[in-house]
This record gives sequence, structure tokens and C-alpha cells, in this order.
Amino acid sequence: MTQPRPPMKPTRDPRVTLDDLVEVLLNKGAVLHLDLIVAVADIPLIGVSLRAAIAGMETMLEYGMLRQWDESTRAWAERSAGRRELELRAGETLVTRMSGGHLLEEGVYTGWRPGGVHLTDQRLVVLRRDPREVLFEAGVRDLRTVQLETETTVGGEQRTRLRVATLDGRTALLSAADPHGLHDALSSLNPALTALPPAPQGAPPGGLEGHLWYQEPRRGGPLWRGGKGRLGPTGLVWKSPLDARPGLVLVPEEILGARVEPGRSPGGDGQLVVVETASHGEVTLAAEEPRRWAAALDATAAPEGTAGTAHPPGTPGAVV
Amino acid sequence: MSDRALYVYALLPDAPGDPAEGVTGLDGRPLRLLRAPGAGLAALVHDGPPEPFEGGDEKVRRWVVEQDRAVVAVWERTGAVLPMTFNVLVAPGEDAGAEERLRTWLGEHAEELAARLRELEGRAELRVELTVDREAATGDDERARALEAEMQTRSPGMRRLLAKKLEGLRKEATERLADGIHADVRRRLAAVVEDIRDRTRTVRDPREAEVLSAALLVPAGEIETVGTVLADVQDSHPAVRVRFLGPWPPYSFTELTELASGPGAAG
Repeated sequence: MTQPRPPMKPTRDPRVTLDDLVEVLLNKGAVLHLDLIVAVADIPLIGVSLRAAIAGMETMLEYGMLRQWDESTRAWAERSAGRRELELRAGETLVTRMSGGHLLEEGVYTGWRPGGVHLTDQRLVVLRRDPREVLFEAGVRDLRTVQLETETTVGGEQRTRLRVATLDGRTALLSAADPHGLHDALSSLNPALTALPPAPQGAPPGGLEGHLWYQEPRRGGPLWRGGKGRLGPTGLVWKSPLDARPGLVLVPEEILGARVEPGRSPGGDGQLVVVETASHGEVTLAAEEPRRWAAALDATAAPEGTAGTAHPPGTPGAVV
Repeated sequence: MSDRALYVYALLPDAPGDPAEGVTGLDGRPLRLLRAPGAGLAALVHDGPPEPFEGGDEKVRRWVVEQDRAVVAVWERTGAVLPMTFNVLVAPGEDAGAEERLRTWLGEHAEELAARLRELEGRAELRVELTVDREAATGDDERARALEAEMQTRSPGMRRLLAKKLEGLRKEATERLADGIHADVRRRLAAVVEDIRDRTRTVRDPREAEVLSAALLVPAGEIETVGTVLADVQDSHPAVRVRFLGPWPPYSFTELTELASGPGAAG
């Protein structure tokens, strides 16, 4: 074994941290930002492409906070705020607008690009604000089908997307804050549109999926956090909606056994699910159906004798 | 003088001594403390016209560095500050000057501001960004290797198909690796730090998958422990890249109402 390396030291070198500082100091919400004091906070920095957020500018315009600034600043601010929205054609009416995105599928590259989903009586447009770009656009009359699709993310979260297909054969997958509402609005705008039934999507075969509480060990004592649990052939994954990635990943080799124990918990009628693990000791969970989870986890546990070859956390478990 | 405004850098507890002595702010302006003795608070300010700072990217970058440097200097002397965002000015009002308006405001919010300052005393913010190199992450994936070998012997059309499959395989393996590392690191950091918050990354590289991007609130004595956890992560996962920034004033932990971070309320 080599010597463990010394502790890493954080850096404050502006050459390294500059982008982060710009983000933290210009971005509203990260630093103290209080009503009365912000007489001119968030003022547009003219010509600054890195302005992290002009959020709050509309509010300022609304409250006349920019009144004392010169006309050109004010005009710029109004233009910028206005530019965030879709420009409507003559006679066009905005039906609904929500945040969402468009899945770019170009060759092997796929990636979600966030933007505002605008539905007018004529068009469906996904518009990115900054830099401004139309990510997707189709005439409402040019749409052939719409279909709700539910996908489960790696973290086990379920997200409903909207798949649209046009008469000329294009398809696109859109995300939207209210996919059902968008689906209904589209269907009523274009009666010729075929609304396909939701695409089937099941729980992982032989697995279990649902709301699960995880007792996260914290410096100040364990903290119950709610999230989504998913148990499948690759093990148990738990993710909080507040985190970007799962907070708990147990590959099958990591799980030695599971049992139900009485205890105080946010769910499961005073019953806890205690999972014995190879390298983290006991992991405590709570679920609406603790026995079901405990049984399924116990069934996932590696048979006696294989635990010695457990993968260290973070390496993918062998999938047969 | 009545049209002068105050540019506010940070709030801090009012105490004897002058932690602003010799500290300069934007464009080298000398800073001073505006004390609100009744409130037990002070504001780190410079005096200037009631106009925001505006300029091109380079200028703003320089100002941001200057603002950070000023707040860090005072934070290191006092141990507790509530930093303000860029361009926070208190302009004179119709019935009162800027100083009076700021003092009144501090007095009105004294209780919550003082409480938050006490909580942040002796705490620093650290930034941790972990990514995995997509290629290195799947270097030892047997299925990926088998596919690569197969591609050598196939027709161009088939190769394109296999390349697409390989791409998918790499993505899946990277995601799984990233999830595992995230869970492991988060668990170990959560045991050490007082608060942990997911953040969006500022630096992106398409060859990397994001694992964890978080702001940590850490007692000064635990900074080294965080460094030890990160060194260990780096040791056990060569595909991981670590950015470790700080210690900073608690830029990301200034909000005055405890929302989701209270015990039992998170998630």
C-alpha cells in the first residue's frame, strides 16, 4: 500500500476561483440580498455578458426602482426583460407559458437544453433566453401526435415528458413544468391531433420503487430526509429531490441483510427498515411498507461467502 | 453631501476596534464601518454616488475580486460577516440620508441579523466540485473493451452502430460510477460539515460528468478533515477530478430564515 496522500488544501487563488466568485457575488440569492437595501442591486451591468442573473429586474421595473436611473439604462433593462419572452406574430395569442426544455438528439449526442415552453394558438415554441435561441418550434396545425412519456431517471425520480411528432416526420421530446396541462392544451387547440395513450412504464422487474426516507448521518445527529427509493438488480438507490445525485447507493454486494425494527420514523407506523451493509455499518430507512422493503432488500443480499469480494462503494457492481 | 450613497459590502457585529482599517474596496476605495450601536451591528461600506457599478466583463471581474478581497480581509479579522451581493447601494431617501436609512434598517432587523451572525461565527464556506472523466471512468469496463475490439473488424456502417452503442454504454457506466461516488462522498462530508448545499457548476467540460457540486458550511477546525476526505476520494477513484475552493466567508449561507435545513425538515 502506498502512503495515503496528505489532506487536500482549498484554494483561494483568484485565477482558479474567479468564475465561482462572479457567480456567487452576482447571482441573486447566494448572498444576502434584502428588500430595502437593494435600491439598485441587480442593476443591469451594461455590456456584461457574464451577468449571472437578471432575475428580479422585472420586479424592479414593476416597482419603479429604476426610475432614478437614466433613460438609456432603463430602456436597456426593459428591452432585456422583454427579450426573455416570445415575440408574438400579429393576431397570435399566448395560451400558456411554462419552464421546460427540449431534448437535443443529434447523432450520438443527446442532452436536455432548458428553455421556456410557449404555446400560442398557432405555435409550440421552446425558447432559450440567454443566449437567445429557438430550441424547438412547430406549428400547432403541423403536429400529428402528442404523447406523455414517463421516464425514471438514474436517481429513481419519475419525470413525465411530452413527445410530439409533426406531420413532416419530426419528433421531439419536451419537458415542461406541467406536461399534462400542455398535453391537454395542445389537444384542444388542434382537434385533428392524435393524443396517444401514455407510453407504458413499469417498475424495474422484480424490484421495488417508491417514497423512502433515509436517515442521513449528519454532524449534528442523524437527519431524516425524504426521497425516492429504487431497488433493482443493481441494488438500492435513494435520491432526495434536493440533491443532484443519489445520497445512498448500495450495490447488492454491499447489502448483507435487512430487518424491520421498532423505532421512531417519519413513516411506517413506528417501524424502521435497518439494512446491514458491508462497509457502512447499519443504514436506517423508513417506508410506508417497511416489511415489503425489508423483505426485498433481504432477498437482494448477497449469499453468505460472497461478501468478501464486495466492490468498494462507487465502483459499479457486476451485472450478470 | 446629502446625495451621497453607501455601497454595502457586508454586515458584521459591532465591536471595539476597527476591522476596516486599511481595507480597500472597489477601485481601491477606502472602506469604513458604519456602526449602528443600538443594534449591535455595523456595515462595511464605502461612500460614493448613488450609481451602480457598470462595465465590461473584465471590469466586473476585477470588481468582484476586489469586493471578495475586502470581505475576506474583514471576515478574517472578525470571524463573522454577512456578505452582500454585488452593487448593493443604499441611496438617500426623501426624508433621510443614506446613513440614517441604513441605521434604521439595521435596527429594525437587528435580532435576526445578530442571530445569523452568531450562527456563522467561526464558520467558513468551502466549495467542492467533483467530476469524473468519462473516458477514464469506463476504461476498465469489459463490455466497452469488447465493443471496441469488435469495431476494428466491422464494416463502416456497423462501426457507426457500434460506436453509438459504445457511447451509450460509456454514459451508463459513468452515471453509475458518479452516483456511487456521490453517495459515498456526501455521506462522509455530511458527517463533518454543518450544512451542505447542492450548487450548479460554473465550469463545465463535456468530457466530464458531474458528481457533486456543493457549498459546505464548515467550522474552521474541520477544513482539514474535508481535505482528508477529498484526498481519500482522489486516491480510491483515479477518474475523479477535484476542485476544492475556499475558505470563503459564508457567501452561500446568509439567508435569514431556516427553511429546509432544520432538523427533520429536509428533503
